[in-house]
Amino acid sequence: MENNKMQTPPPKKPSWIKMLFQNLFGKRDEIDIYKEEQIQSPTRTIIRTFASNKLSMAALFSFIIMLLIVSIGPMVYPVDLAFSEQSQQNIRPGMDMMAIPDALIQNGIRDISVGRTFSVGVDNNGEVYIWGKTVVPGTNVSEIPEDLPPIARVAAGYDHVVAVGEDGKLYGWGNNRQRQLRFSREAQDLEEIQQIAAGFQSTAVLDNEGHVYFFGNTNLTEMYDYNEYQGQLKDVVLTNNAALGLLDDGTPVYLGTKPLPYSTRLPNEKFIKLAATNKTVAGLTADGRIVVWGSPNYKGEAQIPDEFEAQPVDIVGGQYHYVVKLANGNLAAWGDNTYRQATVPGSVNDGNNEQIFSGYYQNYALKADGTVDTFGLKGYMLGSDGMGRDMWQRILNGGRWTMTIGALAVLIATVIGIVIGGVSGYFGGAIDIFLQRISEIISSLPFLPFVIILNVIIGNELGPTQRIYLIMVVLGLLSWTGLQRLVRAQVFSVREQEYITAARSMGIKEFAIIFRHIIPNVISVIIVSTTLSFASSMLTESSLSFLGFGVRQPIPTWGNMLFGANNSVIIQQFWWQWVFPAIALSLTVISVNLIGDGLRDAIDPKSQER
Amino acid sequence: MVFVFFIMSILLFLLYTGMPGDPARAEVEPLKMTMTPEAYEQAYLDARARYGLDDPILKRYTNWMGKILQGDLGDSLRYKRPVLDLVIPPIKTTIKINLVSTFLVLGVTIPLGIRQAVKKNTLFDRSVQALSIVGYSIPTFILALVLIYFFSVRLGWLPISGLSTPNFSGTPWEEFLDEAKHLILIVLVILLSNVAFMSRYVRAAMIDSLSMDYVKTARAKGVKEKAVIYSHAWRNALLPVITLIMSWFIGIFGGSVVLETMFGINGMGKFYIDALNAKDYNVALGVQMFYIVISLIGTLLIDLSYGLVDPRVRINE
Repeated sequence: MENNKMQTPPPKKPSWIKMLFQNLFGKRDEIDIYKEEQIQSPTRTIIRTFASNKLSMAALFSFIIMLLIVSIGPMVYPVDLAFSEQSQQNIRPGMDMMAIPDALIQNGIRDISVGRTFSVGVDNNGEVYIWGKTVVPGTNVSEIPEDLPPIARVAAGYDHVVAVGEDGKLYGWGNNRQRQLRFSREAQDLEEIQQIAAGFQSTAVLDNEGHVYFFGNTNLTEMYDYNEYQGQLKDVVLTNNAALGLLDDGTPVYLGTKPLPYSTRLPNEKFIKLAATNKTVAGLTADGRIVVWGSPNYKGEAQIPDEFEAQPVDIVGGQYHYVVKLANGNLAAWGDNTYRQATVPGSVNDGNNEQIFSGYYQNYALKADGTVDTFGLKGYMLGSDGMGRDMWQRILNGGRWTMTIGALAVLIATVIGIVIGGVSGYFGGAIDIFLQRISEIISSLPFLPFVIILNVIIGNELGPTQRIYLIMVVLGLLSWTGLQRLVRAQVFSVREQEYITAARSMGIKEFAIIFRHIIPNVISVIIVSTTLSFASSMLTESSLSFLGFGVRQPIPTWGNMLFGANNSVIIQQFWWQWVFPAIALSLTVISVNLIGDGLRDAIDPKSQER
Repeated sequence: MVFVFFIMSILLFLLYTGMPGDPARAEVEPLKMTMTPEAYEQAYLDARARYGLDDPILKRYTNWMGKILQGDLGDSLRYKRPVLDLVIPPIKTTIKINLVSTFLVLGVTIPLGIRQAVKKNTLFDRSVQALSIVGYSIPTFILALVLIYFFSVRLGWLPISGLSTPNFSGTPWEEFLDEAKHLILIVLVILLSNVAFMSRYVRAAMIDSLSMDYVKTARAKGVKEKAVIYSHAWRNALLPVITLIMSWFIGIFGGSVVLETMFGINGMGKFYIDALNAKDYNVALGVQMFYIVISLIGTLLIDLSYGLVDPRVRINE
């Protein structure tokens, strides 16, 4: 100490400007480093000890990253609670849905067709390529028949592929359970095939005489072989549940029997090309106008842009969107934009687009120089769940809910714990006995059953958001007893100290003494306890949701994302649906516990000696 | 203690009577088609009277409490059998699982904790400490999922769920092996999550007692290090540990709701949840009252065991 004093240079007299500034902004004199060391506040010591603990710092770092991800992430990827998409269910992680093989581009592209989560392409030599997520439950569409001759064109459906060889024969592979690949003798013997289309469990083949052949599930898809337009058709499209065609003179016709919006709202126009999405059909007229009919829903297929920069000359449809090629070689798109499949990137619109292939959520723009630009859904980084929802998006949003519930529950518990512990410890006597009995009763309430009962009684009358608040409040109301005991013990130990006596003798109100003089002095213990109970609140919420009694779908939390995983099929086949939420939850809880542990070590010098 | 018991019973009773569902209606509902509306209504009112549903709440409570105190937990609404009979098979299962895992947990934890305390702040101690935080941070259901994935799904060594292979027949030894195979995973999960948790307690208690003066004295006397650790220090560290062991003892009857549901084992936890889901409130309430009694007995045993382990406690009293 003496040494330090010697080394300390005498403080310079501050200039009056500096003094003015200091007085204006109330800044205190800066203490130089030696003085600081001598009179370092306990808080600084704690922070320093904590910072020297590598494990805790790593945990703090990882927790902050987690916190940032789950607080910023949901803003970038907001969750659509009503979202559900059959075609995107249970997809493996990976971003390769639009990864066209290099060989296909090098050899020149003859045809591309987009299926559910995969795409099929044919090069100029007739070689077939398939890429994307080719394994859909029950079917593996990448099993291309080995003796396939050179292929002229392909059509990919939901989970099957149809191809026409250069020899004019039909080939097919993939899901054949609805006989969508059981071609009739008649169709197999066709001389020349003009067009093929593949949809959801359905296949349509159009020959050059204008005769259409349908295969597949006719109960689900309105397609009728003996329709009155046979022999006059020049184009055929398949929506999810119906087939439509275009007559030689350009009149659109419905090829099913049951009246559906496609038939009742048939426009009275002449078209040069038809395109179909899941639920709608679009026609392109010779003068570049577009008409959409069918059942356009909120996805926005009917919201055709008022004006195009040039006349549309070609139209293709995806799952819920349309893309048109314009006369100037650019593209325009509208409709569902969940995966940005209806946003044509500026780099694609360079006026060199030769042809456009779209389907489901992917778009391939073939350039004049033979390269391909893609836009739309690349895949899912962490896979998709049983409802077709993006796991990454749900983990982000689930994390936000899990952490919010944990934090608010802890906040409630901390406030109650401090108040009751403080009052109980300070006043003692009858108040103490009374409060301690209450605390005993609450702490001996069996937690899980209690919440479950409460859920059964009032849970069903509540909406999903209200349930979340219920869980927060119940968690908070039941978990303050530990902290209360801790605070009480601390208050006991400081309440007879001089500064309290001094405060009392100055006539400060008792509650002010408790909350402004005592509590700040025991705050470190409270912080540690809060950190640790934040971790345990998150765990409790997850366990509850995991059992199905906590937050319910569609609101995601890490616990209820795992709830779905309690089933051997998911454990076995769709590992990404439980591994990622499990990692996120475990990592967060481990980090928080490590931080709490490090804090305790830093605050309690005795534990360091251990 | 008795006071807490009564408050709890009142709370629980009120909770359960507040539950939706009408047992009288449930009883007469199947008969609705077979009788006239008047007769049906009469049967319903009779049933209500029999269950005492129209009595004032205080009377219902005293009736129910009187039965409880005589050891009668009422009848299951679902099975129409006394709760006490129904509860026996699941409780046997749960006790079996928990006894095995308790012995294993203690067998691993105590030596581990002592070793950590003796070699405190070494690499071994620090890494075990870090691992134990990881261990108790990972939710048991995630641990269970991971173990199921590796041992049942990937390797196919162990069955995923159930207590025994259906229609299994063989020598008692084979039956035992079969059952052991089914129980390995759940015991392993309990073991892993609790070793992490308990070894920290053992370590802390042991460090405290190793820093005591009598340990120094013993060392100064030239007592062998082993004797110092296991006889002098450990005996004194036992006090806080016994509290933990005893609270474990209470848990033996509890059974884990999460784990038993996951592994499809018909223990107390699953029995209770099933009863709740089936709105069989007599069973649920009965099970819960049983828990409370057990936990009160457990608290008493903890207090008594202090005296057993540490003779000073008695002298002080």
